[in-house]
Amino acid sequence: MRPLCSRCPFTRRRSRLEEIRIARPTMFATRKREIDCGLLAKSLIFQWPMLFLQYYLWIAPHLLLGWTLVASFRRGMHRRLPIFFAYAAFEMFQFLTLLALSLLSPFPRDIYNWTLVLETGISSCLMLAVIYELANTLLLTQSSRAELLRPLLRWTLVVLMFVAAVSSAALSGATVRRVTNIFQVLDFSSSLVEVGMLVTLFLFSRTLHISWRNRATGVALGFGISACINLATTALRSGLGKSAFIAVDITQMAAFHVCVLVWLVYLYLPNRALAFAGSGLGKSDIQFWDQELQRITGR
Amino acid sequence: MIIPTIFVVLAFLGLLLILYIAKGHHSTAGNLDQLASQLRSVDVDAFRNLIDHREQDYLRERLPANEFRGIQRERMLAAVEYVRAAASNAAILIRLAEAARQNSDPAVAQAADKLLDNAIRLRLYAFRVVPRLYFGMLMPGVSLAPIDLADAYDTITRQVVMLGCLQYPTRGMSSAL
Repeated sequence: MRPLCSRCPFTRRRSRLEEIRIARPTMFATRKREIDCGLLAKSLIFQWPMLFLQYYLWIAPHLLLGWTLVASFRRGMHRRLPIFFAYAAFEMFQFLTLLALSLLSPFPRDIYNWTLVLETGISSCLMLAVIYELANTLLLTQSSRAELLRPLLRWTLVVLMFVAAVSSAALSGATVRRVTNIFQVLDFSSSLVEVGMLVTLFLFSRTLHISWRNRATGVALGFGISACINLATTALRSGLGKSAFIAVDITQMAAFHVCVLVWLVYLYLPNRALAFAGSGLGKSDIQFWDQELQRITGR
Repeated sequence: MIIPTIFVVLAFLGLLLILYIAKGHHSTAGNLDQLASQLRSVDVDAFRNLIDHREQDYLRERLPANEFRGIQRERMLAAVEYVRAAASNAAILIRLAEAARQNSDPAVAQAADKLLDNAIRLRLYAFRVVPRLYFGMLMPGVSLAPIDLADAYDTITRQVVMLGCLQYPTRGMSSAL
């Protein structure tokens, strides 16, 4: 998760300072000089907590993601969920690239924007691949019914793509900047597809009463929380326009923070597979099924 | 603003659903005894009788049309109950089979694998059968006999007893086979 160019905390701080520099001569020219300067100082003081929050929500989740990467590598998760591992590594790469770009002076706004769009596209594809990996791990490999479930997932994806295309067109709160429009469509469409696929996966597992392994559940749950909040906020961004950009950005970064925390917590939880160890068919179960069989064979 | 609002509502519903299902996954972990207590007996013969099209033809020939429709409706409702019980048992067997798959004995693990596969198949099949039975209630003349479900239930019953024999060979379960 990353802030959009115009909402990158570093960029915003810099542009705000530039605004102050430009505003100063005008303010000194006015008769209400002292009042204006006081208001400006006050507004800067009030902006610091917000600025800190933005820095925190941009950097802290990625530090936790780094921790998750190292811990999951140690636990061999890169062998069980290789695409998820690649996704997490790519998120780290994306964060470092954008952080480096945002620290450059002068700030390369266009490069930052296009890098963000490109990396969001790659990240969305990887996330979709992770969802398929989860489907394979959680559902499909557990039964030969994969032939039945795979087309269902495929068709769900087709329908979601169609809905995403139609609703993106309907929501198009087109701004002047082409790159922002592309980013918005990409962000909304990928969120919609992710939510739809994850809800389908969760419903499959619920309907069939197939249990999930802890870590895979954690990955799916983390993605689910993040994708749902992203979907809601991207839709709101289209509806409310530029005024909602900062709020949307902060909410999305907070959702990603929660998502990484969920991954981390599930990584350290004991694997639920062990909870079944030693349990099996109880005496009463066997008696029940024995009676059922006797009734069938005795007919 | 209507379309964004729709997506916001959908997103929150999706979030609630995901959280609810994930919570359900956690709370049922390892609680096999509780699951086993929910097993319901299914009389496969009675079910076969309810969905037998010859039986249906016989009733149609002997009864006035109105009476036949009423009886057929009740027969289909009873069949739905049987299907639901079978699906519920299959869900419990999925959990039991998952537990048995972790057994160190490869024969037990293999038997559990087969049981898991068939229990999932039965559950999927049950989901497809219920709408057909309801349709049979609305259109009593149409034959929609889901006889495969009874066969599938037979199969998983045999497999679960087989699994029991493999897990507890000293209990003399083989007599049941």
